[in-house]
Amino acid sequence: MIPLRSRRRAINAFNLTMAVLTTVFGVFWLVWILWTTLSHGIGALHLSLFTQDTPPPGGEGGGLRNAFVGSLILLALAVAIGTPIGVLAGTWLAEFAARRRLGSVIRFLNDILLSAPSIVIGLFTYAIVVDPGGHFSAFAGGVALALILIPVVVRTTDEMLRLVPGALREAAIALGTPYWKLVMRITWKAAASGILTGVLLGIARISGETAPLLFTALNNQFWSTDLARPIANLPVVIFQFAMSPYDNWQKMAWAGAFEAMAFILLLSVFSRLLLRRGIHRS
Amino acid sequence: MKASEAAIAMQNGAPSAGQAWRFPADPLFRKLTGGIALLVAATLLAILIALIGEGWHALRVFGWRFLVTGTWNPVSGQFGALVFIVGTLISSIIAMLIAIPVSFGIALFISELAPRWLRGPVSTAVELLAAVPSIIYGMWGLLVFAPRFAQIEPWIDDHLGAIPGLGVLFRGPPMGIGMLTAGIVLGIMVIPFIAAIMRDVFLVTPAALKESAYALGSTTWEVVRHVILPYTRTAVTGGIFLGLGRALGETMAVTFIIGNSNNLAASLLMPGSSIASVIANEFTEATSDLYKSSLLALGLILFLITFVVLVFAKLLLLRLERGAGSRP
Amino acid sequence: MTQDSFQERIWNPPAAVPPGTGGTVAGGRVTVAPAAKIRVRDLNFHYGRFHALKDISIDIPEKRVTAFIGPSGCGKSTLLRTFNRMFEIYPEQRADGEILVDGENILDSRQDIARIRARIGMVFQKPTPFPMSIYDNIAFGIRLYERLPKPEMDARVEQCLRQAALWDEVKGKLHQSGTSLSGGQQQRLCIARAVAIKPEIILLDEPCSALDPISTARVEELLKELVRDYTVVIVTHNMQQAARASDYTAFMYMGELVEFGDTATIFTRPSKQQTEDYITGRFG
Repeated sequence: MIPLRSRRRAINAFNLTMAVLTTVFGVFWLVWILWTTLSHGIGALHLSLFTQDTPPPGGEGGGLRNAFVGSLILLALAVAIGTPIGVLAGTWLAEFAARRRLGSVIRFLNDILLSAPSIVIGLFTYAIVVDPGGHFSAFAGGVALALILIPVVVRTTDEMLRLVPGALREAAIALGTPYWKLVMRITWKAAASGILTGVLLGIARISGETAPLLFTALNNQFWSTDLARPIANLPVVIFQFAMSPYDNWQKMAWAGAFEAMAFILLLSVFSRLLLRRGIHRS
Repeated sequence: MKASEAAIAMQNGAPSAGQAWRFPADPLFRKLTGGIALLVAATLLAILIALIGEGWHALRVFGWRFLVTGTWNPVSGQFGALVFIVGTLISSIIAMLIAIPVSFGIALFISELAPRWLRGPVSTAVELLAAVPSIIYGMWGLLVFAPRFAQIEPWIDDHLGAIPGLGVLFRGPPMGIGMLTAGIVLGIMVIPFIAAIMRDVFLVTPAALKESAYALGSTTWEVVRHVILPYTRTAVTGGIFLGLGRALGETMAVTFIIGNSNNLAASLLMPGSSIASVIANEFTEATSDLYKSSLLALGLILFLITFVVLVFAKLLLLRLERGAGSRP
Repeated sequence: MTQDSFQERIWNPPAAVPPGTGGTVAGGRVTVAPAAKIRVRDLNFHYGRFHALKDISIDIPEKRVTAFIGPSGCGKSTLLRTFNRMFEIYPEQRADGEILVDGENILDSRQDIARIRARIGMVFQKPTPFPMSIYDNIAFGIRLYERLPKPEMDARVEQCLRQAALWDEVKGKLHQSGTSLSGGQQQRLCIARAVAIKPEIILLDEPCSALDPISTARVEELLKELVRDYTVVIVTHNMQQAARASDYTAFMYMGELVEFGDTATIFTRPSKQQTEDYITGRFG
């Protein structure tokens, strides 16, 4: 029989080795995916991507200009709708409901909404915007993305405002400041970099979302900035092009995927730095 | 000790009294923000109502048989959800079988094993990977992984397919795409997600607990097994279910590679469909009201399944938060 | 209340001698006692079920520094927070009794809370500069009550910073963030901010506990300046500070006011055993 001590050591060594191996295993796939996107994407990068619109099926050349612009419009729409709603709701949770039961219930429901499948959000938007309106539209796409952005902003606003020291609020109250002014002039400002981080992370999250756009913004082969009509957007174009049998389209899908990924990763890194700086300063 | 009085007096964080605002605009501000917060929370209810409303047509025509019928035939107007419910569950189960051990290993590596200089980079890498959009996983799965996987599928067919009983699951033509491929890609996609939660949870374990176990001469594994895991068990389960919620509702990573067949096949190598993938594929083509309503009813089913899973997950995670808060 | 009866009360611990029952002069040197600015009558305070202040009655003299000392949890900070109704922003905190400032009961719910807080400034344990420029830190409070043209506002800001002995250090960087200052400078900025709204009373809640000895000395000097124009009430756990910087000292213990008198008497000939034990360091 193996002595107890060496048996324990052997188990330890085996399990820890497994942990290292699984890490390597996990990282392997992820590196592979990133590498593929990078190599295919950079290979397909071309200036015309930004100057020409999407080509017809089987067509040569072309670019993704309409899809880039469409995506930016959708993001701007989502941020314009989602940020004020998210910040105000998060403000209530942090400033007025910190210790109330209703506050915890809403916080809980918001967390569920945060993880709800995005395709369900897309169907919901279809039901409340597209179906009554009678047609797909850029506006519907913006609403769908805003619905995904809102819980992210609510949550970070709530968390960041709760990090603002109570003493700062008391100091303002001691001067006789009305509470709304205290919130708008002092606590929002103190938590500004944190709240901004939340919005940026939210943008990173929605800029790759495809499923909710499939039946809201739909897609548009042509240049359009009309909010009442379907609009081209990067994720749906990538989906359509990658699934297609055309070589030119597939190449463009890789280029688009690379752009989207670079945008999202840069945004994530940037917001992390911002947050670190913000926390460091306070 | 000095801080105690100030702490009672100040109750850290924001004040929350109802009657202290004597400024006319204050109640207004509070009601405005509160109203919006209620609205955000009510979105879940609105989703439920909207999906019931839109799916009502199909649910009334097919009744409860909608859930247990495997036929999905737009031409004859026969719709049943069974194939997709099963497809959703199977692809998610495969994903979790891969993701749970790997995420656990990564979390363990980051929180207990990695040298300090490696901890930050690996941790950040995991978080960034969780931010990579699912459409990229799907694309990679279809254009890069599936062709390579098709090359090892004959081997799977020969060896695993020969196992009596279970072998049925692994027999089929080497197409690359299919239920198994979808499950694998889905698993890879949720790894960073679950790993990040598990790492956070492991790091919550009080250092004093770990140190006292080490002081008794425990090995690292024994500390993990007998201190960290028992302390974080519910939250780890919560994290796993949160990952499951994500896998169940994932659309793009699955739609590319599941094969989009509306039939139920015994083999995992054969194509299938999940609720999300069939909605993504067919929604804009659905011409008849009943067809569209059936797809929305599928969305309702997906919403209900993920809602239950997510509520369960959040409740488990909350328990650790409360526990960690009350422990010294 | 007449000067005479005030004088009696000053020399007699109010907790021991309830108002109106008179009492003997405990002796010591007799100075002309100032009028009372704040009169507290039978004040009780609860945090939920916890009875934090028990029947406090005290008269705080005008344009003098009054210090509250006592071990942690004795209720001295709590008492200070009732003077501007700060407790009100938290649920389950409740004060009963009377706090008369110039004869008006500020605990009366009909009182205008903004006016009370404009008359009573407060400085906290940790410096609390607002996340804005040094200039705006001062101007923020002024703008709540007055609309001033730019030149007048500039003059007011300068005057307040001079009063807080901070002007020379910050005059070149008024538009830098208030959080960029050192801890001691931040605390003086908070004092400047408190005096900017022209209060009559300044409450200081352990203003030096987060400061180094040199900054502490500067704040203490500042108190001597401020007391010419303001009634100053300071809570401190540092007995030397109370002895150095205050005219009157109140000793509190377990939510009760044990003894109140002029600082010299409290520190040399306390009349209560508990006070003596505390100031000689036998507990607390």
